[in-house]
Amino acid sequence: MNNVLKRVVPLLLVIFGSTLIVSLLLQLLPVGLKDLYIAPGDEASVNEQLKSLGLDGNAFTFYFHWLNDFVRGNFGYIIFPGGGREPVSNRLATALPISLRLVVYVQIVALLVSIPLGIFTAYRAGRRSDRAISYSLFAAASIPNFVFGLLLAIFVGVKLGWLPPLGYVSPSEGLGEHIKTMILPVLSLAIPTIATYSRLLRSDVIATLREDYVTMAASKGLSNRRILFTHVLRPSSTTLFTSAALNMGALIGGTLVIEQIFSIPGLGTEIGIAIFSRQFFALQSYIALIAVGYVLFNGIIDVVLGFVDPRTRERRNA
Amino acid sequence: MRKLWSTLNLPSKISVLWVLLVFFFVVTGNFLPLLDPTEYDPDASGVGLFSPGHFLGTDINGYDLLSNVINGARISILIALVSVGIGGLIGSAIGIGSAYVRGKVDLVVNLFFNILLSIPNLVLGLALVAILATSVDPSIPIDPNRRVFIIIFSLTVVIIPILGRIARGATLSWVNREFIVAARSMGMKDRHIIFKHIVPNVLPAIYAVIFLAIGVVIVAEGALSLLGVGIIDGVSWGAMIGRVAGDFTYAPQSMYVPVIVLALTVIAFNQIGDHLRSQLDSREGKI
Repeated sequence: MNNVLKRVVPLLLVIFGSTLIVSLLLQLLPVGLKDLYIAPGDEASVNEQLKSLGLDGNAFTFYFHWLNDFVRGNFGYIIFPGGGREPVSNRLATALPISLRLVVYVQIVALLVSIPLGIFTAYRAGRRSDRAISYSLFAAASIPNFVFGLLLAIFVGVKLGWLPPLGYVSPSEGLGEHIKTMILPVLSLAIPTIATYSRLLRSDVIATLREDYVTMAASKGLSNRRILFTHVLRPSSTTLFTSAALNMGALIGGTLVIEQIFSIPGLGTEIGIAIFSRQFFALQSYIALIAVGYVLFNGIIDVVLGFVDPRTRERRNA
Repeated sequence: MRKLWSTLNLPSKISVLWVLLVFFFVVTGNFLPLLDPTEYDPDASGVGLFSPGHFLGTDINGYDLLSNVINGARISILIALVSVGIGGLIGSAIGIGSAYVRGKVDLVVNLFFNILLSIPNLVLGLALVAILATSVDPSIPIDPNRRVFIIIFSLTVVIIPILGRIARGATLSWVNREFIVAARSMGMKDRHIIFKHIVPNVLPAIYAVIFLAIGVVIVAEGALSLLGVGIIDGVSWGAMIGRVAGDFTYAPQSMYVPVIVLALTVIAFNQIGDHLRSQLDSREGKI
């Protein structure tokens, strides 16, 4: 019980802090929220509007009003000039699954490619093939994903015309088309991710290969493949999963940009629309949602790692 | 100097040369015999690479790409250096101070860093720029210089926790070494211990990360442009990318020229940072 608390309390503090910061950011707006969203009217209707938007107090009561709604699944409103309102949750219901799908595809592709690649380069460490791959991976890890996105859109999408350079088709509208529209965005996010993961796995596997039990396994006559995939991969994968969790942050940021490039109507596009049309309540909820999701995901990975590598579990309990 | 050069491997040498070239253009870009980056050529809109008079071609409006990419280095590198410089200074000061004092202060500082890091850095930068650069009257865009200032401020905020956490971690690994304990037991003042014993030992770790952080900021400047909140009317790499982001099918070179230059610069900074870090590891190994 004590252990659970020790994990959950810092997590909650961070979530509380980050949503508070995002909420306080709105106070930095050069224009007042009241001026933006309160439709003129008699005193009663203005007060009514102020109350429903949580603007009837100071910055902190505004935050708690927002938090109270947020934990109940009410993410605020998009307010049209004249006072019409649309719940932000409507937009999220369509946009969020698209972005999540993109992120999940990228992580799957990245792990599927980087695990064999990392093991191969570690196994051939120092040879010419390893050096060539490692240098290309280093360069690929440094290149921002939007560079891949734009270059792929120009060359594969427009010049060669192999794949659609723009647009999104949901899987329910046609699985084939869905895959076609997702290949370029997923590739542009996956290439730098693959590079980052394989480099980490490579150095971990090299370290593990020096362990005595690997020599032992080899002297028992186990095949190289068996040694690499059953004895070396699991203890080496801790850093990989930790960094996969941390990399989620870069991936979320990258997804926002890639969605803009390929016109994918996900969260990134919604954020762009919110900024452009000055919907700051929506912006606040989008960004808070990203922060909360990112923190929770890292917390979950932390627990999962305890199962992958019992050594980390014992160390933590000590 | 020559000794330092000979310790570099080939990719690092190329990276150092590339960074020096970029800095050369940052300093001299204004005085080189180039076309005016803000003047368009009505006779040559969207001409390709190696066209007469336009070595790297022009974009759809006829702006010369070579001159834009060289002059654009100035703002892009300025944003990177200033925000990493100030953010690094503030972050390291907080990180070193709190790790040295420890106790409750350190607990709070660590929580503060964790909170800032819990918002993905591009998202935090985007939120700050979007909010601060909102113009009071939607029909009048805010002043371009003010926008550059806001971008620098926002990216500084993004850098503070990144470098702060590195400085804090490095300091924690030094404060309990024997020579620090000895200095303290001899009655050396905290201020002297920090500046004479801790800072010199923590600096190498910070140097390595500073190069990586410069890369992060250069990327962020480009990404903010794609997200529609970066520099729009100005001469920077982000501005070049942002201007043509909507439609690059007619003049693709207007997209890939700035994008490739940006990528090469980021690779070079990362390579130098990585080299410094590996030097650091071997130094730590010898101790």
